[in-house]
Amino acid sequence: MEEGCPRCKTTKYRNPSLKLMVNICGHTLCENCVELLFVKGANSCPECNIPLRRNNYRVQLFDPMVEKELDIRRRILRDFNKKEEDFPTLEEYNEYLEEIEVIIFNLCNNIDILETNKKIEQYKKENRDQIIRNKQRMGKDEVELEIILEQEKEMAEMRKKEIENLEELSKKKKTIEKEKLIDELMFSSENAQSILQTYASKAEEEKKEQELAPPPPKVSKFSSGVKFSSSFQQNYLPIPKVEEGPLYKYEEPEVVFNGPAVPALDEIEARKYTNHIRTESPAEKAGGFQSKISCLRALQEAMQGLYPF
Amino acid sequence: MELKVQKYEKISFLGEGQFALVYKARNIENEEIVAVKKIKVGSREEARDGINRTALREIKLLQELSHENVLGLLDVFGHKSNVSLVFEFVDTDLEVIIKDTKIVLTPANIKSYILQTLKGLEYLHINWIMHRDLKPNNLLVNSAGILKVGDFGLAKFFGSPTRINTHQVVTRWYRAPELLFGARHYATGVDIWAVGCILAELLLRVPFLPGDSDLNQLDKIFGVFGTPNEDSWPGVKLLPDYIQFKPTVPIPLQEIFTAAGDDLIELAESMLSLYPLKRCTTTQALKMPYFSNRPPPTIGSKLPLPTNLQKTDEEPSRPSLKRKMLELVENNIPGKKRLQF
Repeated sequence: MEEGCPRCKTTKYRNPSLKLMVNICGHTLCENCVELLFVKGANSCPECNIPLRRNNYRVQLFDPMVEKELDIRRRILRDFNKKEEDFPTLEEYNEYLEEIEVIIFNLCNNIDILETNKKIEQYKKENRDQIIRNKQRMGKDEVELEIILEQEKEMAEMRKKEIENLEELSKKKKTIEKEKLIDELMFSSENAQSILQTYASKAEEEKKEQELAPPPPKVSKFSSGVKFSSSFQQNYLPIPKVEEGPLYKYEEPEVVFNGPAVPALDEIEARKYTNHIRTESPAEKAGGFQSKISCLRALQEAMQGLYPF
Repeated sequence: MELKVQKYEKISFLGEGQFALVYKARNIENEEIVAVKKIKVGSREEARDGINRTALREIKLLQELSHENVLGLLDVFGHKSNVSLVFEFVDTDLEVIIKDTKIVLTPANIKSYILQTLKGLEYLHINWIMHRDLKPNNLLVNSAGILKVGDFGLAKFFGSPTRINTHQVVTRWYRAPELLFGARHYATGVDIWAVGCILAELLLRVPFLPGDSDLNQLDKIFGVFGTPNEDSWPGVKLLPDYIQFKPTVPIPLQEIFTAAGDDLIELAESMLSLYPLKRCTTTQALKMPYFSNRPPPTIGSKLPLPTNLQKTDEEPSRPSLKRKMLELVENNIPGKKRLQF
């Protein structure tokens, strides 16, 4: 079935950028028609004359009937928001859920609308306090989700802290070393020059050590932690012994197709299949798109699985 | 449904990506080692939408596929609000192998890796799937030397005449020029370009075109292949983000890959053609003389392994072990015996 706007009769084929929207009564309109009809904010649905507002229209993702049900479901669940914890037994909770489904089904299929609406009103009146209370409260599922999110955040923070700690540690070490050096220079009886030298060589050694150990962010790049030495080996590695396998020969991959054969790609053009479809624009062709490929896919999908297994 | 969470026992933490955490785990029922990819919930808005989009793509596509060179999805389970995907366990990836300075890659090794990549990719393309994120890091290699194309988080069906694709796919260094020019209609050529870059990286042992921005990436590409014009790339000026570059002269690939034979240069040139329609397809590439010429591709078990995975010669009964390995390769199960952790 070709999707299209019931008012201006534009179809997806004629206007590829057509955006269909759907309202709360389940009737579709394209975006342009919505803009046109609801310039002043409010108007009625062209199909069933229900008064509507611009923001009653949403971009259609599913079948209009599904959209309508989703809308009704959302509205009903706003009021029918009792949780499992509110019922003494599971059975009662299930009955409550069943009742909600009946209401939604009735509203979707226009069965006993008056009766059902009355039921909803009554329910709202009886449970007003609880509805408001439940809106504030989170259900079990949401609590669980909250916990998982919290955990993920914590893990990320932990990792961050670890890195920070390492940095701080090395900083502290440096300052301690410096203080020690000054202390020694002040109180030691040794030659100042030699003290300085020993410290300088010590610092250099440490630097080397740090270089040897790969820096942490680099490690994370390696998915299975290969150690790599910073001292690059100058001598060449021995070439592994050559043990030859068989030469490669191309083999057509086996495709389970289960249908009549489809023309090959070059046949599609030669046999003028492409005459029946939109040719690619020069810009599309420049990007690597070819309509004969689409044609082949369409043909393949039409034929695939026609034979019984 | 039985609680599948209890079927797997966590062994160790392997890594973290943007969308998921990966654990090594053991299937309690059959002792199989697997990798469990636990999709992150991310944010509350995403959680409300349901399942993460990349995960959905992966599940949707992978469930239909089965090929020796495509990473197999074994199982999917949900626990609380998390979704986890169970994959066969693979020991390492091509990035690790390329970066390991202790490994020498012989021409036969390189041929084997590219051959396996193209075989996996051919299977995907036949099934109308483009991968859109090929890079050494996503080409996984198990201890039996079988390469598997993995990470289908960006994969998508191609060939639809109306559906528009985003051009913000593929890690930049492996991104084809038409994507950098903002093409919304493209096809399998983007995967072929990436394989060409990977082939070059295997030869050079460093990334071939490491651009640091999208513009710089184009600059690097045209620095090697010359700037395109209407003759070499018809319609290039019509691409959405086209910009004129200072004309440069192409460098013959023979001068970049000095050690490569003519048949390899021919393959590289045809995979790295600027004009996407002049790029070869996977099937055309596999039929090129490079693959059927000498030296023959190294068989899986003879391919080099990173130092931390290398096999030890401790096992006393070597012939039987070798046979077992071959059986394992045939059954497509990662060789448990060889893992040394």
